[in-house]
Amino acid sequence: MKQPFTAWLAGAWAVFEKDLRLELRSRYAVGMLLMFVPASILLILFATGQEPLSPRIQSGLLWIVILFAASIGLGRSFVSEEDRGTVLLLRLHTRASMVYAGKLLFNFLLILLLETVAVFTMIVLLNIQVAHSGLLASTILLGSLGLAGATTLLAALIARAATRGPLLPVLLFPLLVPLLISVVAATRHALEGGFGWGASGEALTTLAAFAGVVITAAVLLFDFVWND
Amino acid sequence: MATPGKTYKRLRNIVLAWLTLVVLGGFLLDIPRINILEHTARNLYFHVPMWFTMMAAFFVSAWHSARYLSSLDRVRDTRALEAARVGAIFGILGLVTGIVWARFTWYVGQGIWWNFDPKQTMAAVQLLIYGAYFTLRASVEEPEKRARIAAVYNLFAAACVPFLLYVLPRQMESLHPGAEGNPAFSDITHPIMRVVFYAAVIGFIGLFWVLYTQRVRLAALNERADDIPES
Repeated sequence: MKQPFTAWLAGAWAVFEKDLRLELRSRYAVGMLLMFVPASILLILFATGQEPLSPRIQSGLLWIVILFAASIGLGRSFVSEEDRGTVLLLRLHTRASMVYAGKLLFNFLLILLLETVAVFTMIVLLNIQVAHSGLLASTILLGSLGLAGATTLLAALIARAATRGPLLPVLLFPLLVPLLISVVAATRHALEGGFGWGASGEALTTLAAFAGVVITAAVLLFDFVWND
Repeated sequence: MATPGKTYKRLRNIVLAWLTLVVLGGFLLDIPRINILEHTARNLYFHVPMWFTMMAAFFVSAWHSARYLSSLDRVRDTRALEAARVGAIFGILGLVTGIVWARFTWYVGQGIWWNFDPKQTMAAVQLLIYGAYFTLRASVEEPEKRARIAAVYNLFAAACVPFLLYVLPRQMESLHPGAEGNPAFSDITHPIMRVVFYAAVIGFIGLFWVLYTQRVRLAALNERADDIPES
């Protein structure tokens, strides 16, 4: 007989492992993100030309690309379950919070990959200088936690709604305004340099608090989305 | 709920009479002439209460969404929807009165319509959330599923929005009171303005209550009419 918590962890891990295996089989989400991010950054490059961009605009563009990529790439995580008719099986074998945790972990890793690709593409194509890489890394880590928490819940909502495609950005963007403001401020500090950890402390604590509140609310509300 | 009781009618009449007095007082009572503001200071009675009312509507809507999830009572869903609808109207009015006010006082020489003011931005975000809420509702056919999904989204939004209160003022400068050296009421504010202002806040929240309860009644009557088989 396992302990309840280890059983829960095992269940969440199983959901994550299933998603990972399916993704490695089809490589749909990863492939789409790997195409979407460089394509949109190239578009930015063509649109802005040789004009040097200030760190503020660079960090704004970076996060807008990330938000759009996340909102179209992660919407599928629950839709595919509905399409394949595997929802009932998942519902029978796992508790709602396990499904949420497993999908959250998968989406978090997907967003981290997407952000790494976005940052390196921008460094190469748009000549971004990173002055404070530790700050940038922690901003990306905390930002993607909040982003993944919100997207995972809303993707589950969308999967229950009838028209699935373009709804996720509409639902997601207004809720992410606080995240976007803090994350852009911290990224700008990381690109400009000369600010250090102290100046960005407020933005980082806001990001951590946002991620905490979003994930807590999502875990509480996920039951109502998942179970009929 | 379909037929209003005596107390409801009496309260509704009180609200309407009260608002009439507020509008009369707001336009007719004498106010001190402050440089730049002049007579536009009267907008205080209309612009600020719209904002208060929208926040009240947001809380009412979120409260009924939470009650819906715990009780699964259809009336709760109707109440959450109608509070959001009326709240969105007040939000649009608050935003428009604010934009016009700022355009013709502070920005009169510059021609700026939209400035990145924390409260303005927050009102805009709030309106976007209302829009998303209505769009989400429109995308689901089945009433029970729609009610549940909409309630979850409404509550999730209620968890995210308070961050704006914390984040925005640190990022942007504000015309609004509450910022440094800019108290809500200063010494130059005439005492009569405070009285009219508080009366206006109560009056517009009362108006919200009247409109909201009427809309809920209408929705309940429509539902009942749908249940009657056609003969």
